[in-house]
Amino acid sequence: MKIAILSGKGGTGKTTLSVNLFSYLDKATLIDTDVEEPNSHLFLKGKLIKEKSVIKHYPKVNDDLCDYCGKCGDFCNFNAIIPTKKKVLVFHDLCHDCGGCSLVCPKNAITYVDKEVGKEFHIQVSENKLFLYGNLTVGEVSGVRIIESLKETTRNEDLLLIDSPPGTSCSTVAAIDGTDYCIICAEATPFGLSDMKMVVELLRAEGRNFGVVVNKCNLGNDEIYHYLEEEKIELLEKIKFDREFASIMADGELLINHSQYFRDKMANIARKVLGDKYDQ
Amino acid sequence: MKIAISSMENNEHSKVSDRFARSEYFIIYDHDSLSFTSVENTAKSAGSGAGGKAVKILGDLGVEVVLVPELGPKALEALQAFEIKSFQYPREKTVREVLYLYFEKKLPELFNSTSKGRH
Repeated sequence: MKIAILSGKGGTGKTTLSVNLFSYLDKATLIDTDVEEPNSHLFLKGKLIKEKSVIKHYPKVNDDLCDYCGKCGDFCNFNAIIPTKKKVLVFHDLCHDCGGCSLVCPKNAITYVDKEVGKEFHIQVSENKLFLYGNLTVGEVSGVRIIESLKETTRNEDLLLIDSPPGTSCSTVAAIDGTDYCIICAEATPFGLSDMKMVVELLRAEGRNFGVVVNKCNLGNDEIYHYLEEEKIELLEKIKFDREFASIMADGELLINHSQYFRDKMANIARKVLGDKYDQ
Repeated sequence: MKIAISSMENNEHSKVSDRFARSEYFIIYDHDSLSFTSVENTAKSAGSGAGGKAVKILGDLGVEVVLVPELGPKALEALQAFEIKSFQYPREKTVREVLYLYFEKKLPELFNSTSKGRH
């Protein structure tokens, strides 16, 4: 079973939920797909067993074959390839590696070159716990290749948790691709609700099953609960904000090791999402 | 010779834009026919790489000089590839005013980008 934890708004508690749920379970694999700002690794100590380079391709134009027809530039949605008078400019940091420019080139003048866009790290946390995270190279625009690589590496795992990036853009879409269930970690603030609505829209468009955990439920207002009721979305759990929790997290510690309240919450979420077989 | 100026509106009496590649319009002044035309800047809404795209639009129109407020590194590289010269204008002027400044040789030519690229 593949479960993504996502939020829309940043800072609602995706990573808190991911690392604690992962640590609570007997046997699981976690990937941190927030490759622009990975942080799950701050809470999970283990042994680095593998480091892997993630490659993207960007176009290279053969000037002997190119007749500057301009079709590649017209095709590129990201303006990564700009045909000029006597040469074709390639801005490889803008390239999303879709392969379109070589398809539309009538002269077959475009080939692709490899470029490292980031790294994948595999960490053995314990015998039954594998944790992977990716790190996008500074200056690169898209972490999608790294997320795809993390998911490819873990495609045969029995129980996979996916700590997803914030927002609803390409990287989030890549993170939720192929999941059986998504947990929205929301915040009961106007901003939290507004961003959650975009996530709901995305998950419905993608045909995903999902439920909501309202984190920091004692802050903000009641609007989120009315919304969930109106839209008939399952409220999986409510977790309160506590200064003590923030302090434990700031020390890089797991809440389940310090709070029975939090352990109970993780148990309930696991039961609701995974069913009885993972009940502990 | 054609000169392009980044503009807020579609005529030569408009204020100049404070952005180059994401300006609303380009006003094209044709020094041979002494006429102004305006071009809506379709690079303005590009998700990325507006600089290169804006230069491509101007290059395809046969522009030889651009008057700009700022210039990013990608726009500069594209301008050089199209052999278009760029000159920096002061803010809060009109298109006509900066054009006069250009012909009076009061605008500095840009050989380096003035700002970092934005994503």
